[in-house]
Amino acid sequence: MMYYQYIIDYYNEFPFLVRLIWIISGILFSIIVLLTIYLKLVRSFLRRKDKEIAKFKDDYEASLIEYLYSGNEQEELSEVQKSIILKLKEEVPFKSKRKIIISILYNLMNEVSGEMSDSIKILYYETGLIDYAISRLSNKNWYIIAKGIGELTRFKIDETHDKVAKFINHPRSEVRKGTQLYLVNMFRFEGLKFLNTLSAPLSEWHQVQLLETLQKFDDQQICDIKPWLKSTNDTVVSFAIKLAQIYNQFEVKDVLIELLSHKAKEIRVSVIEVLTHLYGVEAKDMLKANFNELSLDEQISFFALLEKLVIPTDEPFVEKHLFHKNFEIQLLALNILKSINIDKYMGLTNLPKDEKSPAMLKLVNTI
Amino acid sequence: MDKKKIVLAEDNSTLSLLLKFRLEKEGFELLMAVDGKEAIELIENHNPDLVLTDIMMPFFSGLEVISHMRNKLEVDTPVIVFSSAGQEEMVLKAFNLGANDFMGKPFSPNELVIRVKRLLS
Repeated sequence: MMYYQYIIDYYNEFPFLVRLIWIISGILFSIIVLLTIYLKLVRSFLRRKDKEIAKFKDDYEASLIEYLYSGNEQEELSEVQKSIILKLKEEVPFKSKRKIIISILYNLMNEVSGEMSDSIKILYYETGLIDYAISRLSNKNWYIIAKGIGELTRFKIDETHDKVAKFINHPRSEVRKGTQLYLVNMFRFEGLKFLNTLSAPLSEWHQVQLLETLQKFDDQQICDIKPWLKSTNDTVVSFAIKLAQIYNQFEVKDVLIELLSHKAKEIRVSVIEVLTHLYGVEAKDMLKANFNELSLDEQISFFALLEKLVIPTDEPFVEKHLFHKNFEIQLLALNILKSINIDKYMGLTNLPKDEKSPAMLKLVNTI
Repeated sequence: MDKKKIVLAEDNSTLSLLLKFRLEKEGFELLMAVDGKEAIELIENHNPDLVLTDIMMPFFSGLEVISHMRNKLEVDTPVIVFSSAGQEEMVLKAFNLGANDFMGKPFSPNELVIRVKRLLS
């Protein structure tokens, strides 16, 4: 007792600042101790939870394998399969267990094909997991809706088309993207019909993802893309132009030529590039006539088109632009001239110095 | 008659279990590895008759497993690799290293059994 009294007296004799520091140190030390205890408790809780998850995963994996191998040809579901479904049905209402079941089903669905994949889908229906995914679509939070759509896509549930399609113009791009991927994954080119009503922008990244999804399918029979080329949504037009190029849509050349007068420069440039790919010779005279009204990017794209589709009668036009202010056009013009009139091209090196661009001259000597 | 031994290296536990069940039903003895490192240990210790390996695995990839078998252990045990979409170049590398066959995911376990039997016959 005397000892503690001595410590308290000793402490009280300290100046105020030193006492304050002792108090702060004491508080901080207590916080550290409390946090350490808390951390220990959290860690042990997480470890316990991990063990439970691992145990449930093992049990569930075994049940799933048993389910997959206990089917018979006489009936859609054997007695063993029915009992496994009943057992899992009891677990599905618990969110954490449902999450594990879905992850296991999805992992396997990605790895096996044929009858097994169909059996997994039947299990997804019969255990009622599908109802939870559908109920997510009615949630007020956008991220829950997006997760629901993602799950329906992964399990290839095409019956929910109407329920999902209504999100095509959702304010959140994540939900829109999920919806678009769902439609394309489920209904392939037919699924692209959402482009008819899409009013929100379709980002470049979404476009790439849609194109990648489309290319996975064996059936590459594309539907009519003309309506999308005429869309009021510029991003839809841009996407349709990409489709025209990838799927060699020669039949839409007329619509593409009309797009040469589109209000958006990026679209006009893309159209010239696609027409180059599709041998759109019909566009050549039109572009030649309006060449001076075109933007620089369009002019460069046009010369790229000309490089591919040039004929000897284009020579005067090409010659006229040999000394264009843009170096890229000069280079393209030279290449074109070289391909149609090699003598004239060779003669260019004999021009007086003040009549030729030094950069071009240097290039001529290296081509 | 001794059962033919197969090393199955696959990090997806559900798929591993599924294939184990299927192949054991066909009379093979399965040795399971969850990564490339375990696969190499099993191959070194058990001298299997066939190796089934995924390409992408923790520690050592399927390519490294094949390379180890062909260049270090110098064994010509048949190898079937599992590949996913977009791993076409990896499959070519696997063949260059000495793989005998490949199966693209998703695949049918029944088809795998046919290929296993063909390679072991």
